[in-house]
Amino acid sequence: MAVVGIIANPASGKDIRRLVAYGTVFDNQEKVNIVRRVLLGLAATGVRQVVYMPDYYGIVPKALDGLSSQHHLSLEVNPVDMELTGTQIDSYKAAVEMNRLGVGCMIILGGDGTNRMVAKGCGEVPLVPVSTGTNNVFPEMVEGTIAGLAAGVVAGGRYCGSLAVHPTKKIHIYKNGAPVDIALIDAVVLKDTFIGSRAVWDAGRIRQVLVTQGEPHNIGISSIAGNLEPVGIQERRGLVVEFGEGGITLKAPIAPGLIQPVKVRSHRTVEIEEVVSVAEVPCVIALDGEREVEVKEGDTASFRLTFDGPRVVDIKLALREAVARGYSREEQVTRL
Amino acid sequence: MELTKEKLLDMYKTMVRIRTFEMKAAELFAAGKLPGFVHLYAGEEAVATGVCANLTDKDYITSTHRGHGHLIAKGGKIDLMMAELFGRTTGYCKGKGGSMHIADVDLGILGANGIVGAGQPIATGAGFACKYKKTNNVAVCFFGDGASNRGTFHESLNMASIWKLPVIFVAENNMYGISNYQKNHMNVTDIADRAAAYGIPGVTVDGNDVIAVYEAAAEAVARARKGDGPSLIECKTWRHRGHFEGDPQVYKKPEEQEAWLKKDPIPRLEAKLIELKYASQADLDAIKADVQAEVEAAVRFAESSPLPNPDDVFTDVYAD
Amino acid sequence: MAQMTYAEAIRDGMRVEMKRDPNVYIYGEDVGIFGGCFGVTAGLYQEFGPERVIDTPISETAIVGSAVGAAAAGLRPIAEVMFVDFMGVCMDELLNQAAKMRYMFGGKARLPMVVRTPCGAGMSAAAQHSQSLEAWFTHIPGLKVVMPGEPADAKGLMIAAIRDDNPVIYIEHKQLLNMAGEVPEGEYVVPLGKADIKREGSDVTIVAWSWMLQKALAAAEELAKEGISAEVLDPRTLVPLDKEAILKSVGKTGRLVIVHEAVRTSGFGGEIAAIVAEEGFDLLDAPIKRVTAPDTPIPFSPVLENAYLPSEEKIIKAVKELF
Repeated sequence: MAVVGIIANPASGKDIRRLVAYGTVFDNQEKVNIVRRVLLGLAATGVRQVVYMPDYYGIVPKALDGLSSQHHLSLEVNPVDMELTGTQIDSYKAAVEMNRLGVGCMIILGGDGTNRMVAKGCGEVPLVPVSTGTNNVFPEMVEGTIAGLAAGVVAGGRYCGSLAVHPTKKIHIYKNGAPVDIALIDAVVLKDTFIGSRAVWDAGRIRQVLVTQGEPHNIGISSIAGNLEPVGIQERRGLVVEFGEGGITLKAPIAPGLIQPVKVRSHRTVEIEEVVSVAEVPCVIALDGEREVEVKEGDTASFRLTFDGPRVVDIKLALREAVARGYSREEQVTRL
Repeated sequence: MELTKEKLLDMYKTMVRIRTFEMKAAELFAAGKLPGFVHLYAGEEAVATGVCANLTDKDYITSTHRGHGHLIAKGGKIDLMMAELFGRTTGYCKGKGGSMHIADVDLGILGANGIVGAGQPIATGAGFACKYKKTNNVAVCFFGDGASNRGTFHESLNMASIWKLPVIFVAENNMYGISNYQKNHMNVTDIADRAAAYGIPGVTVDGNDVIAVYEAAAEAVARARKGDGPSLIECKTWRHRGHFEGDPQVYKKPEEQEAWLKKDPIPRLEAKLIELKYASQADLDAIKADVQAEVEAAVRFAESSPLPNPDDVFTDVYAD
Repeated sequence: MAQMTYAEAIRDGMRVEMKRDPNVYIYGEDVGIFGGCFGVTAGLYQEFGPERVIDTPISETAIVGSAVGAAAAGLRPIAEVMFVDFMGVCMDELLNQAAKMRYMFGGKARLPMVVRTPCGAGMSAAAQHSQSLEAWFTHIPGLKVVMPGEPADAKGLMIAAIRDDNPVIYIEHKQLLNMAGEVPEGEYVVPLGKADIKREGSDVTIVAWSWMLQKALAAAEELAKEGISAEVLDPRTLVPLDKEAILKSVGKTGRLVIVHEAVRTSGFGGEIAAIVAEEGFDLLDAPIKRVTAPDTPIPFSPVLENAYLPSEEKIIKAVKELF
């Protein structure tokens, strides 16, 4: 019996980038609407069991509550057993628990920050990340219904194989030699002293960046790499960029609506397993768009690029394969 | 973000001043020395402090029934405040207002307010005046989660957003409207979500982290000064004490209270100051001792001040 | 002197002050290009521009509440509330904010604001658009209440209200808006708190304001034909109230009839009667009479509305009962 996990982060899409850039207030009612469509998509693929992360807003219960009676679901939907902290730790804990329960797929509603937390705990379970955050490179802009259908076909394992699930890269962050955190898209060294309101929007404070991927169509700090020397999601390399005078100036969309000139001093390719040291200390390191790690005077910090990030579902490929195997033909739909 | 050592220490002192004032008020109230009732701000110091650190005397604020913190953060004088709590003629309102009505119009403090949500249109009007007079000043409206359910909230945010008024709406979400848990009084958890309805920015910050509050307010204030209009900042916080002094707080879960006390904004800032080597424990202790002495002096001032004359009841109803 | 309607006189008063003081502005629902629901602000938008004649959303609470904030911050707003019946929507802003701020702050605030609002029945506007609610505001210390009964007063009281440093509720009567009369030009000020004898007489004092002033004057004209000399006194402002003028007139006539369009119970007529009873009992040769609307909501049908309204005939009847 296929089980699908849903992690919908109620805190995504509300940070200071609504003020300093043009981020949308992603209200939780909209997340409720998305989850509603996700559930209907899952049900249509024959999934019968869903587990979800409880949250202070009650996104999933509200989604269920608002379903029209004619769309009564044949799903069993339950929260995972966990204590809420109301912080980003919840996403991590939920992922750990879902991994333990052996879910076939997890659907994540959040931005890069949310997925980063999930990545710490999800193990080998494939993810369908749905964009509801601010800086979204890792998750896709995908309709909830489609996300539900894709997760459903993957979770069953019946309609598609591992071809539609691809590996991703990851950055390990070390402070004084010990691992302290990870990033999925970018680790950004800022000339800052405080974590404060977490977000990053001032290009003038960036000193160094390591990206796992970066395309000109990305939004966020990784777009700097994208506008310099793009790095694809599947390429076995990363890019490190150093900032300052003496190089070139280029423009990049570092936050929603914020296309800023950035001064790049140098950049180079980073191989898998390569370690990059953080040159300027003290500093604050932002991971996937959020200031997370404070590095004090006298500390050392470094990054290591790996290819052991979470496995992600290629939604288009997964659905095509499922169609090829007849999943969409009414008579062939069977309960998983 | 730039935040100098001086600014941080200054904010620390303000937070300690608020806490010390409030704990003294609690003590005096329990001892029966203060008439009426008091609603204390202890636990929420980072909000008023982080926001007001971005304002000048020419900027306006509207406050609430839980107003002492806002007044102190905006530069209100604690001796005059204390004298008002005691109902003395030397108090801010000559003993006519009390805790819930302290104001200092010269400092841009348009009053604490006994009516939940009433500050919202008043701040909107003050913001209108700033824009009308082209002064570059702003108005900040402090209010709680409960007040964001008043019609005043909707009317004010709507009006401020149409006219792009320089108003910063600061929602202090301490999770309870008196005794009513937020889940039972609004269908959304993040008040910032409501900004979307007015087409203005809405952000949620950790209201127990003065640096996070300062930073968000700095951006919102800058935006307002540039003429880009209002913002809504939601600060998640917690009142350490009851709705009013004497509130048995039967509605709060002990484990919830315990968890939030661990997030007390003052020790958090202390740890940061020490970590940054901006201050030693001894420096912080000295600040606390300073402030304690200020508050004690305020109490002595209040207690030695004259009571109002009964005839004063008739004055100040109308301006001449 | 110019010939103006009551509405034009109000507008002229606002115009004079807006020209004199850049801090005076008008805002309310449909006061801009539309010129106000009853046309009172017509032309001011064109004359003073959108920065000073401002259309608001339908948000009485925010209109009056923001007027409080703007006044505290140094402006002199003239807020229009489309019907006095809508004042319930913004009552807290008047009751607990505007009226009390100065007192609560120990005298350290000034709130120069005017809330203009039309009152009154007579146009089949039924129960929610026809009331006379002046007594609500007179019951709140800190507010001033102005109710002009003719064009010249409408202008002079408007200028005084704008110049006053206190919140003033300026109630204009819908039935008077088209009434024409002589109105002085320029800065014509009628001080608040000063009653006016609109017709001298010796047998009975009729105290009446707003539209009822005109009814009282018509009644006095009829009474004169029957040999009763009625003195008609318009207090013009209910707060502050010129009680000396009332007592003086009653001292002269020995009889008092109070006429108001508001409902009887807890109407302001009761207050005037109480003052005269307390302070002028010896002056009275007869009981005090009140002519008011009954204690009912205001009906729609003209037949019912006429039955509801105080009239010339009802005033004449009340006066005759005193002789």
